[in-house]
Amino acid sequence: MFRVPFYPPSGVYADSYEKDMRIVKTGTQRVLAALALAVLVLLPLVASSYHLRLLIGIGIAVIVGLGLNILTGYCGQLNVGQSAFMMVGGFTSGLLNAYWGWPFWAAVLPAGLAAAAVGVVFGIPSVRLKGLYLALATLGAQIILTWIALYGITVTAAGFSVEPVKLGSLAFNTPQKFYYLALVFTLGMTLAAKNLMRSRLGRAFIAIRDNDRAAEGMGIDIFRYKLLAFAICTFYAGVGGSLLVHYMMWAQLESFTLQDSIWYVAMIIVGGLGSIEGTIFGVVFITLLKELVLVVGPMAQERFTFLPIGAASGLLLVFIGSVAILFGILEPRGMAHRWSLVKAFYRLWPFGY
Amino acid sequence: MLVISGVMNGAIYGLVALGFVLVYKSSGVLNFAQGYMLLLGAYLFWFFKVTLGAPIGVAMAAAVAAGFAVGALIERLALRRLIGQPLISMITVTIFLALVLEGLVSMTWGTYPLQHVEVFRESTLRLGRIVLTSQNLVACGLALAAAGALIVFFRYTRIGLAMRGVAEGHQIMQSMGINVRHILNVSWGLAGVAATVAGILLGSTFGFQLGLSQIGLLAIPAAFIGGLDSPEGALLGGLLIGVVESVVSGYVGNAAGVPAAFAILIATMLVRPYGFFGLERIERV
Repeated sequence: MFRVPFYPPSGVYADSYEKDMRIVKTGTQRVLAALALAVLVLLPLVASSYHLRLLIGIGIAVIVGLGLNILTGYCGQLNVGQSAFMMVGGFTSGLLNAYWGWPFWAAVLPAGLAAAAVGVVFGIPSVRLKGLYLALATLGAQIILTWIALYGITVTAAGFSVEPVKLGSLAFNTPQKFYYLALVFTLGMTLAAKNLMRSRLGRAFIAIRDNDRAAEGMGIDIFRYKLLAFAICTFYAGVGGSLLVHYMMWAQLESFTLQDSIWYVAMIIVGGLGSIEGTIFGVVFITLLKELVLVVGPMAQERFTFLPIGAASGLLLVFIGSVAILFGILEPRGMAHRWSLVKAFYRLWPFGY
Repeated sequence: MLVISGVMNGAIYGLVALGFVLVYKSSGVLNFAQGYMLLLGAYLFWFFKVTLGAPIGVAMAAAVAAGFAVGALIERLALRRLIGQPLISMITVTIFLALVLEGLVSMTWGTYPLQHVEVFRESTLRLGRIVLTSQNLVACGLALAAAGALIVFFRYTRIGLAMRGVAEGHQIMQSMGINVRHILNVSWGLAGVAATVAGILLGSTFGFQLGLSQIGLLAIPAAFIGGLDSPEGALLGGLLIGVVESVVSGYVGNAAGVPAAFAILIATMLVRPYGFFGLERIERV
């Protein structure tokens, strides 16, 4: 094949379906992916516990955010109760572990399935509703599920301790060790989400999002697929919740509030609706922003004494809320779109198009 | 007793729900920030009354005017730029507006409850075994009057009718010579007014505290049960939710009222997806 070695190709062209379907298409991408993986694996050798904890938080949030993005970004159903479903998963796996002695590996799947089952129950109103009213049902889910956990079940109201994840004699009880577990889960769940959304299922979701009547006309069973999207979304939440509980070795209600649910929505809005990479960008961005405000907030509180008590928490809300609104107005397609612009620029340089 | 106090609070929920309906009817947006507009309205009233020391009537008028300004400003700055974007981005923007409003309130006034303000003179009225405070009665009356005024406004005034038209289709109304932007602006402003009045009333009963926004959340099931596009439905839904909330928390305890209201919301979704007074839109494929 004739190639001009100096100029980059004007595009990536595949000459077979197998090549076209690859996620990692070019040699450069393969090298970059291997490098990224190596950096991720070697990171605990240099990073401090603080940074690792941050990264574990990001990993878990990526799993939960991916689920939410599948439902909201791909299928077009708004969910403002994601952390309640996370709670279902977290408490299921925590209770199985703490009271029946199931190891994490046996409890993580039931946790996801329990969350999915509860999610489907709250998704049932979509039989008769079109549009975005499901947001109200998920808000109801957040409020009702939190109430049940607080007053209905004595164990979950107070919080209880959970054993760390064990593999043989190795216990994942420090950030350094748990990091690898979170990394494996995050990578696995991300790949699964990426592939699911490129399949028949993902295309059906997108069709429902873009025009539900046309989708129904093409033979997509809307109700079934919406419930399926709900189930996948809440399954991801359940797995994320289970990971969180085993990581903290403590299951408590305060990890799963309405505000957390809204943070997840903010993450996928900022990152980009309907984009797997976008979810990761958004989660990283919002988590770092939160961390920044959590550092700056108390400093501002100390410096400016005229601020009332609790102003720091208000600062967090204002800051992240405004960032999300600005993204909604100025870049509705999120950081993922910006990233694709950067990639296009790199590919086409030095030409405009 | 529980039923009566439920009706009292229900009138206020109905008023908040009306604000919800106002925005939904003219733009199709579910305004998650309604409860937080209520919070801001209540705190603004407190600011005029306590910090500036204005007499009660003046403080109320100022707070209501400020509430209108807040609503109109939100529309002008955030939602107008989203006209033409998919609904989902408008709705998520209202969710984040809720965060920003709550954050602004807690940055300005802190997270602790504020000093109590006595809005109405305290006296009790006995009807057999039922005890009513004058505060309750006045609050309920005011809420009903404000709600009634809004309903009449929708039915009979020029701008109210234009709002109902705008709900049907922005482009059509624009071509009929109605300024859609202006109408949307006014409807957000009025939603702010409804939220502020309700905020003042709730604040005078429950105290001026951040928890008010939680109470504002109850307006969502109220509006939905009545039918999101029906002002009368919102008022009745508010009363229903008020009674349910008060009876359930009275008998079950443990703040079961709010989850019960949302359980009813989900049940309504299954039985009557357009609410009990809403316009049914039948779609077949």
